[in-house]
Amino acid sequence: MSAELLIKNLWAQVEDKVILKGANLAVRSGEIHALMGPNGSGKTTLAHVLMGNPFYQVIKGEVLYNNEDLLAMAPDDRARKGLFIAFQYPVSIPGVTMASFLRTAVSARRGYEKDHLMSLAEFQKLARAKVEELQVDPAVLGRYVNEGFSGGEKKRAEILQMALLEPEIAIMDETDSGLDVDAVKIVAAGVNRMYEASGKKMGVLVITHYPRILKYIKPTRVHVMFDGRIVTSGDADLAEELDQIGYDGIRAQYERVAAEVVGEGEVRSAGKVFWVQH
Amino acid sequence: MSDTQPVVTSALSRAAVERHSAAAGEPVWLLERRLQAWEAFVRLAPPAATDEEWRRTDLSALDLDALQPLLAAGVRKATPPAPLMRLVGDPAAAAGLHLAVDGTPIQSWLAAELVRSGVVFAPLGEAVRTHADLVREYLGSVVRDDENKYRALHGALWSGGTFLYVPDGVEVDLPLVSGTWLDRDGVLLSPHTLIVAGEQSRVTLVELSASREADARTLINHAVELIPKPGARIRYVNLEDWGRNVWELGVVRTLAQRDSTVHTLMVAFGAGLVKTNVESRLVGPGATSEMLGVMFGDGAQHFDYHTLQEHVAPSTTSDLLYKGAFKDRARSIFAGLIRADYGAQKTNAFQLNRNLILSDGARADSMPKLEIMANDLRCTHGASTSRLNEDQIFYLMSRALPRATAVRMMIDGFFAEIFDRIPLDMVRERLSRAIERKMAEA
Ligand SMILES: Nc1ncnc2c1ncn2[C@@H]1O[C@H](COP(=O)(O)OP(=O)(O)O)[C@@H](O)[C@H]1O
Ligand SMILES: [Mg+2]
Repeated sequence: MSAELLIKNLWAQVEDKVILKGANLAVRSGEIHALMGPNGSGKTTLAHVLMGNPFYQVIKGEVLYNNEDLLAMAPDDRARKGLFIAFQYPVSIPGVTMASFLRTAVSARRGYEKDHLMSLAEFQKLARAKVEELQVDPAVLGRYVNEGFSGGEKKRAEILQMALLEPEIAIMDETDSGLDVDAVKIVAAGVNRMYEASGKKMGVLVITHYPRILKYIKPTRVHVMFDGRIVTSGDADLAEELDQIGYDGIRAQYERVAAEVVGEGEVRSAGKVFWVQH
Repeated sequence: MSDTQPVVTSALSRAAVERHSAAAGEPVWLLERRLQAWEAFVRLAPPAATDEEWRRTDLSALDLDALQPLLAAGVRKATPPAPLMRLVGDPAAAAGLHLAVDGTPIQSWLAAELVRSGVVFAPLGEAVRTHADLVREYLGSVVRDDENKYRALHGALWSGGTFLYVPDGVEVDLPLVSGTWLDRDGVLLSPHTLIVAGEQSRVTLVELSASREADARTLINHAVELIPKPGARIRYVNLEDWGRNVWELGVVRTLAQRDSTVHTLMVAFGAGLVKTNVESRLVGPGATSEMLGVMFGDGAQHFDYHTLQEHVAPSTTSDLLYKGAFKDRARSIFAGLIRADYGAQKTNAFQLNRNLILSDGARADSMPKLEIMANDLRCTHGASTSRLNEDQIFYLMSRALPRATAVRMMIDGFFAEIFDRIPLDMVRERLSRAIERKMAEA
């Protein structure tokens, strides 16, 4: 299992508003990336576009998943092929229990034929193990999907789903926000375990506002998104620097750089140069 | 295979009523009742299309003269046809079973210990002979023959159906099941169900009916009378999966006495047109009625439910939840009336109708109505019509569920609210199958 997600010059809009403006990023097996950036820069939009949310329209660009055209696939195909997103704002589905949803989802991910399910006993064993690992209240399995969950419960339930679906490439969208430090540690430990269990093959993109979670999930690369593009990338230290300089500092500097870029062309990653005072 | 084929007369007539009554060996009082009903039928005009109750359900294409009344002729021992067996499922899960084909009973049994404790579970036509006094006392005591033209027709020609009597204090745990299969078409079948539950007794009756898909219009004209004595608990389930050539007119009425509890569940999957009144009259203090409905329409199906929660006595409770999913050009009408009479103080009345529209051509109208004469009560009602939520579908698909699976799961979820309130797996399984079948037909 060796996966590769390649995002090339991706532009996307919601309704009439262009949000992604030439995003470029590659996430490969075994790599752990962090994607940071101020509110509204388009991180969540990128995640939804990658999963094929029909609410977002791709205007141009390309996304390859293991050399296949990801954008041509239905969301369920993407998920079956190993892409996973832990959503920032998971929706609730009254009437559908977590247990029946997850059993169906795991069966689909594992390639069971249409409408065939893994045995109840096997599912229960699996679910119990994951619930325990992630220190999630087992009662969650009997509840309706995300219905009445607190913010923290929702985030943990997303990670539980991730653990059950064993993705090749996982995107975690602000999983840490709304969790206290202890919960962040539990979630991070869970993700690290998944990473190890995959033989260090899982690729992870951690979308986050704060460097906090990156203390526990160590990224190999850190990227900063601003106004729909990745404007800089660096190693793990970038996250710390970012924390000190703050997004306002970046914004001011970015706007200065952006003014020098002629037209709406692809913005080249400015690397660390980006925050040196001109 | 049998010497007693169902009697089929050439048309609806007074003579047909007389012939039917004579052939069934009915007592004079019953013949007289039938003839009175026949006179009412002749006398009453069909409901006018301008009548509020009938405005949205047009029966003008119904040609009563084209229908052959189907009348039970004794009991005909026969092997139940496969579709009937599928319909009723595992008989081991029941405490008693009735099977009827084309209106004629073919099988009937009741657990021996229930027979010993005095429970009567028999085709109504048979009970007229075996338990004449009981039937005479209660038959027609809740639903009258002269309420409208179709009820009058029912009164004149009812045939088949079920009589269930539970003596005081007897509690029946497993459900009693009655299955009806209709192989013929172009017929009129008028089953009558009568449940009398003695004081502090408890019983469940599940009536399941279906028919072969056919061409000629068939009319089912049924009536159900539910009579819980003080403290009795009745659970009544009516599930129909008729062919599309069938039109069904019906009334299910409860007369709930002191501290009794009645649960009704109406399930509509089949038929071309259904027009049913489901009514609870809470006449004894402390009586409770739970009224549930599940409808799943596709094609050009037309479902019209008029419900009544009538609070006559004080301290009574009614709780109604009707949910329907509608696909293709299916049409649904829900008209629910809560009435609290003078003196019905401390009434609790709740009513909720929720519809899920699955195609642009489908339509659901919901008309809640209140007539409140009491001044100390709690009453809520609500209605909603919505479509599948695309954000939810996307969420499920992002977890590897194909769209069709996601949609099915959401429809199951839509009905879960009702199923969480019925402790009957057999009904849940049938609903699941019906959803599967209806969603598979593109
Ligand atoms: N559903 C939506 N409708 C309208 N605008 C949206 C919607 N989702 C996102 N946006 C807009 O797109 C921009 C990027 O938002 P988002 O992708 O959520 O950013 P981030 O996750 O980086 O905070 C914001 O300006 C936001 O207002
Ligand atoms: Mg976001």
